[in-house]
Amino acid sequence: MSATNVTVEQWVELFRAIGLEEPDMHKWHEEFEQRFPDGHQGFLEWLQIPGSRITEIRRRSAGVP
Amino acid sequence: MLTISKLARRFGLSRSTLLYYDSIGLLSPSLRSRANYRLYSEKDVERMELIDLYRQAGLPLKDIARILDSDQGTAKALGARLRTLGEEIRKLRRQQQTIVDLLRDEASLRETRSLDKQRWVAILRATGLDDDDMWRWHVEFERLSPEAHQDFLESLGLGDEEIERIREGSRDRKREVS
Repeated sequence: MSATNVTVEQWVELFRAIGLEEPDMHKWHEEFEQRFPDGHQGFLEWLQIPGSRITEIRRRSAGVP
Repeated sequence: MLTISKLARRFGLSRSTLLYYDSIGLLSPSLRSRANYRLYSEKDVERMELIDLYRQAGLPLKDIARILDSDQGTAKALGARLRTLGEEIRKLRRQQQTIVDLLRDEASLRETRSLDKQRWVAILRATGLDDDDMWRWHVEFERLSPEAHQDFLESLGLGDEEIERIREGSRDRKREVS
């Protein structure tokens, strides 16, 4: 994935536009993490999210407090 | 009746091994051809099967000879048990291999960083999105950034035709909505 013109805010906006709320998005991360952990990492990197934030998102998605 | 070469091939042995078995009296062919070649009878083959079995069990040749030539009853029982064990071990090995293969598949699937359409859709469905939601997502994506939409679909490994169909569908639906 090479496009650099989608930001995390835009992606969230995209999800909101189709009716996904916070809990839905959390579930989406959970499913992503559980099924394809490395794909999840790759996707978050594609959105150019900083490493520390990625770690945080993935930890929360995996159910680690 | 089998010639020495055929018997050797059947048990994965060399001819010289069989000649050696003959020389120590472990397995001597019962018959000779007219040209005086060794010929192994059905009974000889059965004896060879037992020898093979005991060899697989790690018994030394002289012990094998003793078992075969002494108490036939004991030898038969041992032989049957050994055969059963061998079959069970083979079955367990196959199961072991199957599990290793399965684990490898699962691990490689989990480890891949690339998403394909199937995986992406699986995640969205698990999140609770249906076909209509996904179409709305495409419409929004196309509106937000046609280039990024194109790029994302390419990254999922979709062909040009399918991408064109999706993007066109997104534009059409957008017109319907507005």
